[in-house]
Amino acid sequence: MTGSHTASAQAPKRTDAVIVGAGAAGNLFAAVLAEAGKSVLVLDPGPAWKAGDLYSSSIWSRRLRWGGPPVESTGANAFGAGFNMGWGTGGAALHHYGTWPRLMPSDFTMKSEFGKGLDWPIGYDDLRPFYDRVQEEVGVSGDAEAEVWRPAGAPYPLPPLQQFAQARLLAKGFHAKGMKTAPSPMAILSQDYKGRPACLYDGWCDAGCPIGALANPLVTYHPRAVKGGARFVNGAHVTQLIPGKTTRQAAGVEYVDSTGTTHTALADIVILAASTVSNPSILLNSKGGDWTNGAGNGSGLVGRYFMTHSIASVYGFFDDEETENYMGVTGAQATNMDHYGKQSLGGGAFGSLQWQLAPTMKPNDLLGVAMARADLFGADLTAFMERAVHHLAVMFGFGEGLPLLENRIELSDRIGPGGMKTPRVVHSFAPESVKVSEMAAQLGLGIIKAGGASEPWAGPMATAHMMGGTIMGNDPSASVTDSFGRSHEIDNLVIAGPGLFPTAGAMNPNFTNHALALRSAEHLVERWLS
Amino acid sequence: MQTRQAFDGQRRDQHGPDRRTLLKAAGIGLFAFNVAGVEVLLSPAEARARGAVLSVLSAEDAALLEAFGEALVPGARAAGIAHFVDANLARPHHESLLTVRYLDVLPPHDAFYRAGLAALDAASRAVLGVPFVQASAAAAKPLIAAMLPGTIAPWQGPPAALFYLTVRSDAADLVYGTRAAFDRMQVPYLAHIDPPSDW
Ligand SMILES: Cc1cc2nc3c(=O)[nH]c(=O)nc-3n(C[C@H](O)[C@H](O)[C@H](O)COP(=O)(O)OP(=O)(O)OC[C@H]3O[C@@H](n4cnc5c(N)ncnc54)[C@H](O)[C@@H]3O)c2cc1C
Ligand code: SF4
Repeated sequence: MTGSHTASAQAPKRTDAVIVGAGAAGNLFAAVLAEAGKSVLVLDPGPAWKAGDLYSSSIWSRRLRWGGPPVESTGANAFGAGFNMGWGTGGAALHHYGTWPRLMPSDFTMKSEFGKGLDWPIGYDDLRPFYDRVQEEVGVSGDAEAEVWRPAGAPYPLPPLQQFAQARLLAKGFHAKGMKTAPSPMAILSQDYKGRPACLYDGWCDAGCPIGALANPLVTYHPRAVKGGARFVNGAHVTQLIPGKTTRQAAGVEYVDSTGTTHTALADIVILAASTVSNPSILLNSKGGDWTNGAGNGSGLVGRYFMTHSIASVYGFFDDEETENYMGVTGAQATNMDHYGKQSLGGGAFGSLQWQLAPTMKPNDLLGVAMARADLFGADLTAFMERAVHHLAVMFGFGEGLPLLENRIELSDRIGPGGMKTPRVVHSFAPESVKVSEMAAQLGLGIIKAGGASEPWAGPMATAHMMGGTIMGNDPSASVTDSFGRSHEIDNLVIAGPGLFPTAGAMNPNFTNHALALRSAEHLVERWLS
Repeated sequence: MQTRQAFDGQRRDQHGPDRRTLLKAAGIGLFAFNVAGVEVLLSPAEARARGAVLSVLSAEDAALLEAFGEALVPGARAAGIAHFVDANLARPHHESLLTVRYLDVLPPHDAFYRAGLAALDAASRAVLGVPFVQASAAAAKPLIAAMLPGTIAPWQGPPAALFYLTVRSDAADLVYGTRAAFDRMQVPYLAHIDPPSDW
């Protein structure tokens, strides 16, 4: 069978596996299963994006974000769903920034070490070989030795990315404070690698990298999946799981195509990889058979423990230098993790903090120059822009959000495709997590000032990344899946994505997402073949 | 390739421009505007200059949006903010290029803009004694400055800060986010693939 993108009318009615979502985790699963000889159908509501769709423009990049039924977002620290959710082939990973740090060992044992949050059912050592293999596969650039905080692991396959003035200027502040910096570990090629070209440092990653220097699924696992024979159907919004012969079995999924027609896709194995928000919403909408509380939700924990990272943004001017803030990559050029220890900030803060320095800033857009001072308008904004596009520098402190039961993805009263209810995300940070971000802002102001920046300021706390909602664990009454993402309650259902994380750490999640997905996919194949 | 979403496509297409024209326009990057009864593909600035008909916003709303956009980001009026917003509101949600997509404002977004504009105009009449389009820049300044902190009063509409950020972002897109704007500011554009249009 040749892999391809297929119209829903010709989609196979039964396959060995149906994968819901053609993003980061979905493509990795599709590649591993298809290469093992399994017939695979991948369903995604968004378009079949190609490299040629990735226009270098912050305005045009908005087409790449979630375009399905609206997601409500509420709570004291409402999560930015519209910015953080992707759709179509590649998912959010199509336009993600490729900042790929590993989680630290303490992220896996927070409950037992500190009596807060939750423990993972596995430790760092269980994931380490998968981190090592994924970085080799997709090409990660960095300097493992310079990252003095980094847990044990193979060195990066590629040297670090080039740095520009903004990174050098910001690093001065860290060094003046006796703190270290290292090149950020990036899933972006510093040299040509496996037929893909090296980065050009134009900073358009947020709009997608059409040359394939950044490890988005279109150039990593998607081609492998297609070559292995996986079939992709776009415009296919999965609404619910279909119950099988027993409560412990799913027969497949139901989906609505772009004409509004409902279809079923039957499979031996169902893999939910539709993002941290959509996975729980599909499960909660699945009320067929005996699943009165939603599929796989006997524990009542589907949708619970939703987490995000806080972002403290710290800005300053370097008027004597051209900061070249339009050059580099959207993610970051350098990092510092001196305050990653859960209690290292003190002062009532609890949780990890990592700095990412010198992301590219384009003049417009949410993370752009104009938004750095959202309070300015009129002639004041004009004057600010003239100065800032050449002299502004920024660094982001990513803070850990603790897992709280009350933070959740639930169903709203609005009706979406197939008559199903659309999701609502409810999120407020724990007071200790708010403290992390507040202290990060103070710390950052001191650092940037020490580096010689003038008029430093901190922006309002923002959010990034989405984790939790279908957490893994050993106890079926306290988690949704086991460490391989297998539902505790439905034997042929596997869940994938950062929704599995029981704690969020402060690290960008996609490297860990890949490592977990590879571990789960290979485990699934092993069991299947035996 | 854009796919069409069954849940909202129908409603939008009823009053939006012809679907095929839109797809064609997306391909080469302009928007379909009606000028003197003829459908033509134009940039928002050209559409404004040629008096293109608006398909979602009323003339009053457009004038208000232009006045507010210009007050926030000088240059937004001539860059065609009203036509830019209007053309995107006429598209299905998933094809919209507006920042409002990022701000978790539930669609329909035309209602959001209308309500925000009405609230701004009412606040201007109450506080300054004139419609917003007639307020001088100096008089409007404290009124606008009270939007982001949410202290503007009276205010009956979507959260004032959200509306301020939305329109400010639209205006910033047009005045600072285009290749021409980058050139003006001497910021290298460095495109991999040029965006289809230079708004
Ligand atoms: C702007 C941005 C920058 C980021 N930068 C970084 C970074 O630098 N480093 C990092 O580690 N992480 C980053 N991330 C996060 C990273 O992209 C995600 O963690 C990762 O993509 C999650 O993988 P996933 O497979 O769970 O979801 P996705 O990759 O989003 O894929 C989910 C797919 O499921 C589909 N889907 C949704 N609902 C349904 C449904 N009902 N039926 C069928 N399919 C459905 C979606 O259309 C989507 O294609 C960034 C994210 C964004 C938005
Ligand atoms: S900066 Fe590098 S990774 Fe980002 S879009 Fe350009 S070439 Fe791709």
